[in-house]
Amino acid sequence: MIPHCQLPSHIATGPHVSPFVSHNEAGAPYGDHRSEDVHVPANPASVPFAVAPSTDKGEVAMGEPRKHTTTPYVTGNSVLAIKYKDGVLMACDMLGAYGSTKRYKSVQRIIRVNDTTIVGASGEISDFQYISNLLEELMTQDFCYDDGCTMTPSEIHAYLCRVMYNRRNKMDPLWNSLVVAGVDKNGKEGNKSFIGSVGMLGTSYTDSHVATSFGNYLSRPLFREFQRDDMSLEEAVSLMQEALRVLFYRDKTSINKFVLAKVDGEGVAISKPFALDTKWDFKAFMNPSKHAVGSW
Amino acid sequence: MAVSSWRMDVPGLDGKCGQASRAAADLALGQDALLTNAEVTQANFPLPAVQNLDHFGKKVEDLVKPDHGTTTLGFIFKNGVIIAVDSRASQGSYVSSQTVKKVIEINPYLLGTMAGGAADCAFWQRNLGMQCRMFELKNKKRITVCAASKMLANTMYSYKGMGLSMGSMVAGWDPSGPAIYYVDSDGQRTKGTIFSVGSGSLYAYGVLDQGYKWDMDIETAVELGQRAIYHAQFRDAVSGGTCSVYHITQSGWVKLRGNNHYDLHYQYYPDGHATSANSVI
Amino acid sequence: MSRWSPYDLNGGTCIAIGGEGYCIVAASTRLSTGFSILTADKSMILEVNDKCLIASAGFDGDRSQLHKVLTFRSENYEHFHKKPMSCPAMAQMLGNTLYYKRFFPYYTFNLCAGLDDQGRGCVYTYDAIGSHERVGYSCQGSGKDLVQPVLDNQLKAPSILELPPKVAVTSLSQAEAIETVKIAFSAASERDIYTGDAVEIFILTPEHGVQKEILPLRRD
Repeated sequence: MIPHCQLPSHIATGPHVSPFVSHNEAGAPYGDHRSEDVHVPANPASVPFAVAPSTDKGEVAMGEPRKHTTTPYVTGNSVLAIKYKDGVLMACDMLGAYGSTKRYKSVQRIIRVNDTTIVGASGEISDFQYISNLLEELMTQDFCYDDGCTMTPSEIHAYLCRVMYNRRNKMDPLWNSLVVAGVDKNGKEGNKSFIGSVGMLGTSYTDSHVATSFGNYLSRPLFREFQRDDMSLEEAVSLMQEALRVLFYRDKTSINKFVLAKVDGEGVAISKPFALDTKWDFKAFMNPSKHAVGSW
Repeated sequence: MAVSSWRMDVPGLDGKCGQASRAAADLALGQDALLTNAEVTQANFPLPAVQNLDHFGKKVEDLVKPDHGTTTLGFIFKNGVIIAVDSRASQGSYVSSQTVKKVIEINPYLLGTMAGGAADCAFWQRNLGMQCRMFELKNKKRITVCAASKMLANTMYSYKGMGLSMGSMVAGWDPSGPAIYYVDSDGQRTKGTIFSVGSGSLYAYGVLDQGYKWDMDIETAVELGQRAIYHAQFRDAVSGGTCSVYHITQSGWVKLRGNNHYDLHYQYYPDGHATSANSVI
Repeated sequence: MSRWSPYDLNGGTCIAIGGEGYCIVAASTRLSTGFSILTADKSMILEVNDKCLIASAGFDGDRSQLHKVLTFRSENYEHFHKKPMSCPAMAQMLGNTLYYKRFFPYYTFNLCAGLDDQGRGCVYTYDAIGSHERVGYSCQGSGKDLVQPVLDNQLKAPSILELPPKVAVTSLSQAEAIETVKIAFSAASERDIYTGDAVEIFILTPEHGVQKEILPLRRD
């Protein structure tokens, strides 16, 4: 169906996905985005691609910052997140695009930070890997203190806001839009879901649903219509799948290989990659030129 | 001790606790911070990491459109000094205020005027006020207009090329008599008897030069200043609001006039202005 | 290829009116970028204490930084001086804080409003680099060109610069002032794409401290 996305047979496909794998007891404390497929991003200058992502020589508005990331290279697209009854869901595809080339197809863009928090990123993959390292250090510190306290999702969000804003102050932005989602267990009246977003300039907000980049146009309207904070997991999963499907249909830099992550009172679960059922065999698609007489 | 001592005394202004009290300690030790003021203060202004600060500054100015001030004038005559100003501030074509106080009362004997960037003028003349007070405490006598204006000019020169915008008159009375100095953000400092600064200055000069006489009485001089500002407000789009007139003598400054442009117009031209659109020939 | 800029404009409008014995501060809650709405529910008012509020429109990143810095400093002040920062003191400090970023400004347009030592409403209005002035009422942000003329029409008092001095305080009652704010916001949300969703209205009085009210606006 989608030739470039051959999934191993054990990966579930279709709408009835509930392929959560709990990472809580696993050895690696993070969404294992480095082990599955090790992509070594080649030096773009040495790759004989016809289309480089940019012809911009790094000249930037407002007085040319020194060097730095002025255009992204390998990028990920939309990240979606919604609240539901027991926690939060987050989803995105696994594409790492090089300009408009679908370059890497197994990039894990959602990571588990701790038992209550996950972070998803769109934008420059290398910058996100750096941010992952920062979070890893942060969690190591948290572990070393051994005081029974761990950072809550809103604290991690606040931290990331400062990191992003600080880098924009240096005219050296981390080219990402980040989504932080999780559950705060310290609240007096039970678990409290949290979803927050921060962009590369430090613009931040929290809401019941969040979508970065193209998702803000394509998925956000669906969320505004159908998302409720008290919806069940099943409802939330099917809403998320619908949103992903719409994104895949309309976003040219997306692939049908997704990851869905869940945080609830029990902990973090990040799914294995899966594909969604799609429908392309519409009559009008069979012979496109039939209805466009005069075009070739 | 390279600690900055010369700043507004606001606790934690630079994010370090106790900075204010440390500043006080420096003074107690007799640190001569006067000369190092400009260099030291500079270190507290974070700069953007860009290669071309000037270019960046211009872009930012387009974006944030800081308030700009407009017509001011000052002159010396037999009976002292007259300072007159308008009160309009604009951000681009938007009139952001009609009630700006463009005369900054540095101390009872010294006035500064405001043209150019409102924040630049207000901040640095407040800073000048503090420097003048420190001078007084240290030397047990009032600072001269000459010295005060030079401190301001030195501060301006140390920021030259960084995009500050200020055209100011420092006027006052000291043991040598009345004085006006023009100081601007390029670092220029000129002594003189008649000045007008701002986009409406040319209109004001027209009236001022025509009516100026050394031996005017106070009432005539005040009237001249007010009239000059009125005509600038009338012809210059970015001047307007209220016209304020100050008079400085041996015993310090007093504010003598504060009149709305509208009221002035009908005071000067009760039957309508000959050149205004409502007269048909 | 779009050129990178450290600034963005996230829209929003804020209004403050100070009267005899009350002060009203209000701000819309929509956060936008370009033609997209990021969220309908983001507060842009900082409650410094029950005598002083700061409302900031402009770029959200700079606003959060500025609000964090001001919170830190006002807390510090409380520890040093054993009393909350007064509104006039906060106003001067906000001016200095903005000016110290003169060469890389906070792209924020602020109002500092609250009650002074006599319990009268006070409002300070700013430009992005710290020039400020005490006024009876003011408005900032994306809808200011629409709202300010309306406020002038309803509230304008003689200039404080006039000699002989005239009474320069608005004579509106608290209820009338609140109504004016509400009308101004619903009008702004009709014609300004960056103002909408809801408006937070804070009412400060010496008797009741800070009271908050939310008025829904157009959501389109």
